[in-house]
Amino acid sequence: MNLLVAGCNFRTAPIELRERLALEGARLTAALAELNARFGCEAVILSTCNRVELYVARPAAPAALDAGLLSEFLAQWHGLKFEDIQGSLYHHRDRDAVLHLFRVAGSLDSLIVGEGQIAGQVKRAYEGAAEQAIAGPVLHALFQQALAVAKRVRTETGIAHGHVSVSSVAVDFVRQVFDHFDDKTVLVIGAGKMGELTLKHLHALRPKKIVVTNRSADKAAELARSCGGQALGWERLDDALVEADIVLSTTGAPEPIMSRRRFNDVLARRTHGTIVILDIAVPRDFDPRIHDGDRACLFNIDDLTRIREQTLADRKKHVAPAEAIVAEEAARFLADWERRRHGPVIAQLTREFEARRQAIVKQLLGKLNGKLTEADQAYIEGAFRLLQNQFLHGPISALTQERPEPGGHTLLEALRKLFRLEE
Amino acid sequence: MTGMGEVLAKVTIFCFAASYGLALALELWHLVAPRPILRFASITLGAAGVLAHSIFVWVQPIPLGTPFGSLLFLGWILAVFYLYGAVHHHKLAWGLFALPVVFGLVVLAALSPEAGRDGEGSWWQDFQGVRVWGYLHGALVLLAAVGVCVGFVASVMYLVQVRRLRAKLPPTPGMKLYSLERIEAMNRRAILLSFPLLTAGLLVGIALQLQSGTLFQGWDTARILSSLGLWVVFAILLYLRYGAHARGRQVALLTVVAFALLLFALLSPQHPFAQGGGP
Repeated sequence: MNLLVAGCNFRTAPIELRERLALEGARLTAALAELNARFGCEAVILSTCNRVELYVARPAAPAALDAGLLSEFLAQWHGLKFEDIQGSLYHHRDRDAVLHLFRVAGSLDSLIVGEGQIAGQVKRAYEGAAEQAIAGPVLHALFQQALAVAKRVRTETGIAHGHVSVSSVAVDFVRQVFDHFDDKTVLVIGAGKMGELTLKHLHALRPKKIVVTNRSADKAAELARSCGGQALGWERLDDALVEADIVLSTTGAPEPIMSRRRFNDVLARRTHGTIVILDIAVPRDFDPRIHDGDRACLFNIDDLTRIREQTLADRKKHVAPAEAIVAEEAARFLADWERRRHGPVIAQLTREFEARRQAIVKQLLGKLNGKLTEADQAYIEGAFRLLQNQFLHGPISALTQERPEPGGHTLLEALRKLFRLEE
Repeated sequence: MTGMGEVLAKVTIFCFAASYGLALALELWHLVAPRPILRFASITLGAAGVLAHSIFVWVQPIPLGTPFGSLLFLGWILAVFYLYGAVHHHKLAWGLFALPVVFGLVVLAALSPEAGRDGEGSWWQDFQGVRVWGYLHGALVLLAAVGVCVGFVASVMYLVQVRRLRAKLPPTPGMKLYSLERIEAMNRRAILLSFPLLTAGLLVGIALQLQSGTLFQGWDTARILSSLGLWVVFAILLYLRYGAHARGRQVALLTVVAFALLLFALLSPQHPFAQGGGP
C-alpha cells in the first residue's frame, strides 16, 4: 500500500516545537493540496495539541515516499530548518503505520490514555482530506477502519471509563445525586482560582440560579458577573446554604468556615432534598463529618483527586486488552488489503481459464456433433469445469494465504508472469 | 383446544422462572465483569420470561384471591415494568434491582399452598361472586401492591446509592444507578399512587362486607390485618415525607417495611371472598 506516516508527538517534541508545526484551517488545507501536488499521493494531516502527523500513501507507485522527503516538506512548510526538527520526528511504514494510527485513534498513544477527544480529531482530519478528495482508496479504508477500531476499543474495554480531571469527577458526583438542573441553585463560596474550571462545568449544567458569596463584596460581584449569577452578602451564607442544592467552596480561609454544628442548624431549616458540597479549598472549608451520603454529600479535593488517580490506574489495566484489539484489527486490515489487491489478479486468472475452457469444449463438442447425447455433453462440460477449478485452486489458495512481506508481492508477480496476465 | 392453544398451554411457571433466574444471573455477572453483551443477553432472557409469563397469565385460569394467583399476577405486572425500564435504561443496573423482586414473587407463587390454584375460566373468576365491586376491590388492591413493589425496588436502589455516596464511590460500568433525585421521585410517585388505590380498595372491601352483613367477619385474617397495617405504614410514610421532611433514607427503610407487610398479606391464607365469604 506504500503507506508512510511522519510526525511528532508530546513524547518526541516539546510544546514549543509542536506549536510551530501545528496546522489548522486554511494552512492545513493548503498543506494537504501541496502534498498531493508535489508527491502525487493520498494524504491526511492529523494536527492536535499533542501531535502533528502526516499520513501519505501511494498505492500505484513502485515504492513508498521517502521519509526524509516528507520530513523536509514539514520543515519547509513551516519555514524551519530540517536539522532543527529532524531529531523530534518519527516515521512508520505500511504495517507499522497502520498499527500506529490504530493506536492513536484508540487513544493508546495519548498523553492521558483513554481520553475521548482523539477519535474525533482523527475523524475530522480524515473528513478534511476526504472533502478535498486528497484521501484515496488506501487512506479511506485505513481511516474508516481506524475509527471502527477506536469505537471497539472504547466499547470492549474499560479504557475510556470514568473522568480524569478533578472538575469532571466532581460533576460526576453531582450527577449521581441530581437528575436535572433547571430547578437547582448553585452556591459559590469564595472566589478562588481553583474553582474556576469546576464552576465552568457546573455552569454547563444550566442550573436555575448561581449565587456567589464572598467576604469581599466586590469579588463576589465580579465573579457573579462573569458567570451570570447574583452576588450575596457574606453574612447571609447560612440562608444561602438553606436554599442551595450544589455548593462550590473555594475560599482561602485558614480555618473551616462551616462547623458540623452550624451546618446541622442549616440542615434543620432545609425542607428540600440532598445538598452536594464540592469543597475544593485548601485548607478545607467544611467539616468533613457533615457528609452522610443522604442529606449532605461532601466531596473535598482529596476525595476528587483519589477518584482521579483510581480512574487512571483502572485505565492502565485495560491497556493490554486494548493493544490486543489494535493488533488484531491491524492484522485483519492488512490481510483484507492484500485480498483486495489480489482480487483483480484472481478474477483475471479465472476469466482467462474460463475463456480457454469454453473454447476447447466448444471445439470438442463441434467435432463430436451428433454422436453425443445431451447428458454426455453436460458430463464433458462438467469434467472440464472440474479440471479448471482443481487446476486454479492451488495458485489462488497460495496467493490468498500469502503473508505480506516488506518489499513486494513475489507470488503475485510470479503468477502474472507464469500465466501471462496483463498488468 | 386448537393446536396453538395446546402449545401455549404447555408454558409452565418453570419456563418464566428459569428465564428470570438466568436473566438475574447475567445481571450479576455483568456487575462483576461488565460487558454490553451480558446486559443484552440478560434483557433478552428477561423479555422471554415476560412473554412466557404473559402467555401463562392469559391462558391459565389464575385465581386472584389466592396467594398463588395474586403473587403470580403481581409478578407479571412488575415483569412488564422491569422490561420497560431495562430496555429504556439499558446502561443502568435496573434489572439488578427489579429482577429479584419479579423472580422472588414467581418463586413464592410456585411455593405457595396448592389449595385454590385451579381456578376455572378466567383470572377474575374469584371475584365473579361479588360481581363488579369484588373485581374493583381486587384490582385496586393489586394496583396498590404494584406501587408498593415499585416503591420497594426504588427504596433498595436508594439505599444502595446512599451507601455508595457515603463511601464516595464513583459510578462503575456494572453499577450505574439512577440519580438519588430520580430514585426518590420514583419512590414518591409509587407511594402517592398506591395510597389512594389502597385506601379505595380497602373501602370497597369494607363496603362489600357491609353489604353482605359480614362486616367483622374475617377481620382477624392475616391478609386483612396486614393490609390494614400496610395502610397505616403508608400514612406514616406520607406524613414523614411531607409533614416532617424526613431524610430519604428513613423513608426508604419504611417503604421496605411496607413491602414486607405486603408480602405477608399476599402469602397469608386465602382471601375471605375466595373462600366463599363474598355476598
